[in-house]
Amino acid sequence: MSSEPMLSVRGVHRRFRTGPTVVHALNGVSFDVAAGSMVALVGRSGSGKTTLLNVIGGLDRPDAGTVHVDGTDVTALDEDGLSRLRREKVSYVFQSFGLIPVLSAAENVAAPLRMARVAPTERERRVELLLELIGLADHARQRPAELSGGQQQRVAIARALAASPQLLLADEPTGQLDAETGLSVMALLRGIVESEGVTVLVSTHDAVMMALADRVIRIHDGHLDEQAAGQPYAPAPDAR
Amino acid sequence: MRLVSRRARAQWPLLAALLGVVTIGATVLGTCTLLVTRTAERALEVAVARAAPSAVDVTVYTGTVEGRDTPSVAADTRTVVASTLAPFPVTTTARASTVLRALPPGLATGTTVPAQAYLSGLDDLPARSELVTGRWPQHPGDAVLLESTAQLLGLTPGRRVRLGAELAHAPVPPIDVLVVGVVRPLPARGWDRDPLATAGSAAGYRDGRFMQPVNAYGPFLVDLADLVTTGATVDRMEVTAHPDLSHSNRHDLETVVEAVDGVDRRLAGTLGDRVQLARVASELPATLRSADDQRHVTAAAVLAIAVLGGVLAATALVLAGRLTTGIRADETALRSALGASRRQLAATATVEAGFVAAVAAALAIPASSALHAGLTHLPPLDGAGLTVRPAVVGAQVLAVVGGALVLAAVLIVLAIRPVPAASDQRTRRELLARSGADLMLAVFAAAGWWQLYAQPTDASPRADAVRMLAPALLLTAGAALALRVVLPALRGADRLAYRARGLAFPLAVAEAARRPQAVAAGLLVGLACAAGTFGLAFDDTWHQSQRDQAALAVGTDLALTLSTAPVAGDGAVLSAATAGAVSPALDRGTAVGQWLGSAGDAPRLVAVDTTRADALLRGRLDNDRGWADVGATLAPPTRVNGLAVPAGAPLVLSGTAAGDTPPVVTPRLMLQDATGLRTACTGPAVPLDGREFRLPACATADGLRLVAVALPVTADAGGGPVAVAVTLTVPPAGPAEDPTDGSDWTATSAPPIPSRLRDPTVMVSATPTGTTLRMAATVDLGGVEDAARTLVATAFPDPGPVPVAVSARFASEVGVESGSQLSVTVGITPVPVVVTEVVPAVPSAPGAVAVLADLDTLSRARAVTGDLTFPVDAWWVGHPAGPGAAERATALHLGAVATREAETARLIGGPLLAGLPAALRLIVPAAALLLLAGVVLHVTCDLQARAVEVTRLRGLGMSRRGIRAVLLGQHAGVLLPVLAAGAAVGALATRVVAPLLVRSETGAAPVPATQAHWPWPAEAALLAVLLAGCMLAVAVVVTVQVRRADATHLRVAP
Ligand SMILES: Nc1ncnc2c1ncn2[C@@H]1O[C@H](COP(=O)(O)OP(=O)(O)O)[C@@H](O)[C@H]1O
Ligand SMILES: [Mg+2]
Repeated sequence: MSSEPMLSVRGVHRRFRTGPTVVHALNGVSFDVAAGSMVALVGRSGSGKTTLLNVIGGLDRPDAGTVHVDGTDVTALDEDGLSRLRREKVSYVFQSFGLIPVLSAAENVAAPLRMARVAPTERERRVELLLELIGLADHARQRPAELSGGQQQRVAIARALAASPQLLLADEPTGQLDAETGLSVMALLRGIVESEGVTVLVSTHDAVMMALADRVIRIHDGHLDEQAAGQPYAPAPDAR
Repeated sequence: MRLVSRRARAQWPLLAALLGVVTIGATVLGTCTLLVTRTAERALEVAVARAAPSAVDVTVYTGTVEGRDTPSVAADTRTVVASTLAPFPVTTTARASTVLRALPPGLATGTTVPAQAYLSGLDDLPARSELVTGRWPQHPGDAVLLESTAQLLGLTPGRRVRLGAELAHAPVPPIDVLVVGVVRPLPARGWDRDPLATAGSAAGYRDGRFMQPVNAYGPFLVDLADLVTTGATVDRMEVTAHPDLSHSNRHDLETVVEAVDGVDRRLAGTLGDRVQLARVASELPATLRSADDQRHVTAAAVLAIAVLGGVLAATALVLAGRLTTGIRADETALRSALGASRRQLAATATVEAGFVAAVAAALAIPASSALHAGLTHLPPLDGAGLTVRPAVVGAQVLAVVGGALVLAAVLIVLAIRPVPAASDQRTRRELLARSGADLMLAVFAAAGWWQLYAQPTDASPRADAVRMLAPALLLTAGAALALRVVLPALRGADRLAYRARGLAFPLAVAEAARRPQAVAAGLLVGLACAAGTFGLAFDDTWHQSQRDQAALAVGTDLALTLSTAPVAGDGAVLSAATAGAVSPALDRGTAVGQWLGSAGDAPRLVAVDTTRADALLRGRLDNDRGWADVGATLAPPTRVNGLAVPAGAPLVLSGTAAGDTPPVVTPRLMLQDATGLRTACTGPAVPLDGREFRLPACATADGLRLVAVALPVTADAGGGPVAVAVTLTVPPAGPAEDPTDGSDWTATSAPPIPSRLRDPTVMVSATPTGTTLRMAATVDLGGVEDAARTLVATAFPDPGPVPVAVSARFASEVGVESGSQLSVTVGITPVPVVVTEVVPAVPSAPGAVAVLADLDTLSRARAVTGDLTFPVDAWWVGHPAGPGAAERATALHLGAVATREAETARLIGGPLLAGLPAALRLIVPAAALLLLAGVVLHVTCDLQARAVEVTRLRGLGMSRRGIRAVLLGQHAGVLLPVLAAGAAVGALATRVVAPLLVRSETGAAPVPATQAHWPWPAEAALLAVLLAGCMLAVAVVVTVQVRRADATHLRVAP
């Protein structure tokens, strides 16, 4: 673990106003994530996990506070800067897989490479490699609708890794998978952390996932409630 | 149902879209219905109200009425006609002429045949003539005379005349009249019906009831009421009833037509044997029949457009319905899972569709009324006098409600059909079904096209299913098939695009190519684009066809059909009035050899000055030939020069002959004016005894030239061959004239027995007293007294067979080709002709067996046979200047004027025909509107369904700009080729069906045949508007959706 954290979140607030009611989705959240670690973000539904990940990835802006990714102040970036950040440093794995339906598995994995305008031969090589890595080389030409949920999520992880990001944000990647499939996906993520040296922040309420994480951050009604890294997992009263 | 209302509140934009589409469809149907009902009814009223009096008048002719019966016959006739035309108010005018009665011997002296006169009674004399001297008849016995009669009989106001016994009739008391005035007949006021046609007198008149010819004078014009009380036998009486049809309706018109058809019998029954003959003539039934035909022709086309509008709306609705069911798929699945039966789902769908139909109908009824009223305020309906205020009629309500219900049924079917699962098998089965549907459509369309193609040229004007459905069927089949081409093409593009390096372009193409959901939208866009482009092109094709028909029917720009024989100088007057190229024209029935044509359809002979064919002749010629080219093959090689004859100058004739009793010649001269009109002038009988005779002033106008002289030689006593020499001296016309220049004077002996006049010669020489024409021949005076011995001198050689162009129908019916020689009859003279070319149709004789010749050549061919009369029926004017030319020409009172422009306006903007362009004006915007609505609906639903996907693209690091580009590219990738394919289908439909859909006003195939027209500028503008509209709609929707695509969408699982 280097001294400079890969991700640094300081005093982030995010409020949502719907009519007269105001929801404090994030209420002064601060934490750091060291490079090359895998951190689990745990909290029950509606606790603010998705909001936090969106703010970190720049898809949403905080009302107050800062987010630094690899030293870059995400909250200070403009629209183009954010797009570049997501192309080069941060990538997403969505809860609902989030593959582009009209593209095949290989084409989905190639999408970030295309955005980075990687040369076609290099691109094809890397796509092949990544599909190999996730064990779906045989399904390269299938469309998302023709893949199982677990396969889709693996393709999504391969896509997230394609552009060699430094930080991978995964929002409940196993939320829609059965336990067994979820496990294989998580094992894949863990393996990637080991092999590629990517920093992973994954929101989950899965006990196994927490066990695989280097560290667990608990979130409750927009507040952090951190557990020590490497500490054995103890189920929180509000976890489902 | 509570679910329906709650859902309606939640999904109101979707519901509004459905409602909009149904409303547009129902409005188009309602408006078209109003066009074929309300406007068509009104058009009939306007058409009959505008019809020329001759087209609606009813005239009763009665013949030979004994004096005692005339008052009752006149009154009964009026009563019968008025009751026939009830309930329309009628104005009647009547005229009667008595049989000839003896004139006092003192009045017409110097003739051996009896002088006779007749009385004419008119009940509107002051309206038909102008007073020259004296006064109008006021008291019984008062009479006025035409100038010519008064002059001939030397009668002036104040003279009393006793008209004695009736010619060849029972003795009746004489009638005493007092001449109180002299009048001049006004032109075009029915004087052609005067027994002597206002000539005032006729020598050697035969009136049909008396064997011997008499010298007839008259009329003595008296008041009609006066005439019928004189007890004079009336030779002919005519009562003309003019119905006031300005406030008519269909029912009354039909009643009247029936009554007119049966009036002959009623009249005969009423008048009994008080008259020898009673006949009714009226164009009214034919006028109404032709109006009805036109109405049917227009209705057929408007209904075809309405069907097209309905199909368009249904397609839009299928799209909207599919999108709705797509969006509601989860809800439906949930309800099914919760145990809702198919029937319950159907009930919900029915309630909702019924609500949509009800609201749409409620909106469409006033909307169609307003739209229809608005259309009638635009050309061509406003010009046709069909402007109306918005109103609701029963048929319209029926059409709107029916249309809305049918469209609602489409919605129900879409809602309850099983939601297709995404499994491969189902898709394949669906694809198969779709192929089958496409194939069926194509087969139906082909069958429809064949039906149209094979329909007889004289098909009924009534709307039939084929003509109504064919355009919609063809366009739908074309759009469906075009999609089949576009989708593989997109897939091909997809394969190519994936070779690109970036993401935006290949992703856009992939989105476009791999989403078959776009099919319904593609079908609507393609069909609407095809319908719009077809609508524009059909409009243009129809207009062009009407213009072509008008041009060919009139044959020239302005045709003046002569009511009386023209006189030299008329052409110059007409030329000054119209400032156009003026030519006399021959346009009449003829006989080809002995063949008079099929029943009621005589061959026509048209002849004009073909050296100016380009300026004079109108009507479409195919194969890139112009009338100038045709004219060049018909025109004579050189112009006729002839001898200039100064206006009013006396021509002097003298002749010598060997022998004691000099033979006599009665010279006939033919003079030509600057417009090519030739007039004949007959001199007195001149004995060939060496004396000089001054001929009457034949040159009645400036600029006349002598072009032919005929000298029939007669002798009281027979004898052997005699040498005769005749000299005609024409006074000098001016210093600039060289009389002998250019003229090729030729002498011939006229048929039928040319051998009786041998060695004819003619020589022109200039002398101090003028130009002399010396003609000589040896004449055989033996044999029958009036046998032909005519020396003909012409300023041109015998032209030989006259070159003619024949119509295609002539060529096929008579079986001739280029080079064939035959003869056509002009008047009673057969003229040899040679066919030089076959043209599709001859101007002014559309679809007829017709011959076109050069009038000059035709006249020359007749002149060399001694026939110096010039056959002329009309004046044709090319390129008349200014809009008032027709009025100025009419004001000359030479005859009836028809112009190509007016005929075109009638065929395009006539009340009974204007419904079609109006309906086309409706379908193009309706198609554009439905297309844009469909595009907006499709894009909105597509983006709504893919909101999460759009946000994820952002998550992948794609900028908003990049995402916008992908989405725009995706929709453009589908819209552009589909629009192009739609335009191609529209163009193809224009080529193959538009010409078949255009019918002439009688319902028959138009002549000349319709050619498809593709108005590039208008089509380009429409496509540009559609494209811009689509892209704008897509851009707005995409921009809004991309801006909304924020992190929110990621929170909820799709
Ligand atoms: N766009 C939004 N508008 C209103 N409230 C929101 C919005 N996004 C999130 N929230 C609220 O913020 C809180 C946290 O939501 P979220 O981050 O989605 O929770 P989690 O992902 O942990 O389930 C919830 O109470 C939610 O209702
Ligand atoms: Mg969440």
